[in-house]
Amino acid sequence: MNVASVVQSIEASGLAEWMRSNVKAMPIVEAIHVLCAVTVFGTILIVDLRLLGFPNLRRAFTRISDELLRLTWGAFVISVITGVIMFAPNANTYYGNWPFRLKMVALLGAGVNMAIFQFITLRSVATWDKDSRAPAAARAAGAASLLIWLTVIFLARWIGFTKGYNFAPAEDVNFSFE
Amino acid sequence: MREFAEWLQGTPVSVMIQSIKWIIPLLQSIHIVTIGIVFISSLMIALRVLGRVRADEPFNDVWRRFAPWMWSGLVVMAVTGLILVLGEPIREFTALSFWIKMTLLAIAIVSTMAFGHSLRGTTLAARPEFSAGAKTVAIANIAIWLAIIFLGRAIAYDIEVWGSLSLHA
Repeated sequence: MNVASVVQSIEASGLAEWMRSNVKAMPIVEAIHVLCAVTVFGTILIVDLRLLGFPNLRRAFTRISDELLRLTWGAFVISVITGVIMFAPNANTYYGNWPFRLKMVALLGAGVNMAIFQFITLRSVATWDKDSRAPAAARAAGAASLLIWLTVIFLARWIGFTKGYNFAPAEDVNFSFE
Repeated sequence: MREFAEWLQGTPVSVMIQSIKWIIPLLQSIHIVTIGIVFISSLMIALRVLGRVRADEPFNDVWRRFAPWMWSGLVVMAVTGLILVLGEPIREFTALSFWIKMTLLAIAIVSTMAFGHSLRGTTLAARPEFSAGAKTVAIANIAIWLAIIFLGRAIAYDIEVWGSLSLHA
């Protein structure tokens, strides 16, 4: 079983068929996807900036991250679910689309960066949690996370402009999608 | 409105935006990034009023931490949004979602300003718990921002979302 045949069977699935036959479904799923994506980005931005020392070091890092973690993860899980639902009806197109592939690589990069931070860098957090500058590895993780998530958003928007439009627009409607 | 949008789409500035293919995707990306900043900033302020985040910090500190990000994000959002409208006036002006979004945006800005103005200066000791009214406004603000983001994406699908109510129809 190769990737292409898996992609093929996703596109032939019941979920994919259902999405293709319900015109209201795609805008709703896309809107939820954007909503959750901006929530992931916005909450991670606060944590990343704190790692970089902005706006200050007075509030404990763990306090900031613990408070936001549930929101970040909840929004991320819904992003993945809505992402899969968006992917299914048009699986072959997405699979062959280079911004989509790069976005998946960027997401993988975000995961690796987070895992290294979580399991290695964070071990010493007690020494820099509050009122002292985070070590270089922690600052690097924050900067990398920020850049990766910005890249994810830019690539995500690029998919929409490169994959083609998958609904037949109604007559006399000018969809200026290029 | 349709005539105005058609005229605008033919103006040199609009034609220039349309002719450079990367401008609209780039502006949309920046627009979405700033929505993340504005939405989470106002969410943090609202959640502080509800006592769900930073309950140990005075409201003033939370406001001072997030309000500047919210206002500067709004400026970037307005500028990128304006150029997007200039580039695709027919797409925007003939979408019902666009007009509802603009109305909600005006409400969100006015209510956030009023909100910040009335709550700034509240200290932990003076007011450990916010009034039911303040909490209601906080929840309403979150709901309005969720709707604004939702409608932003729905602009691309006006007929699918609104059916016969769509201004495209």
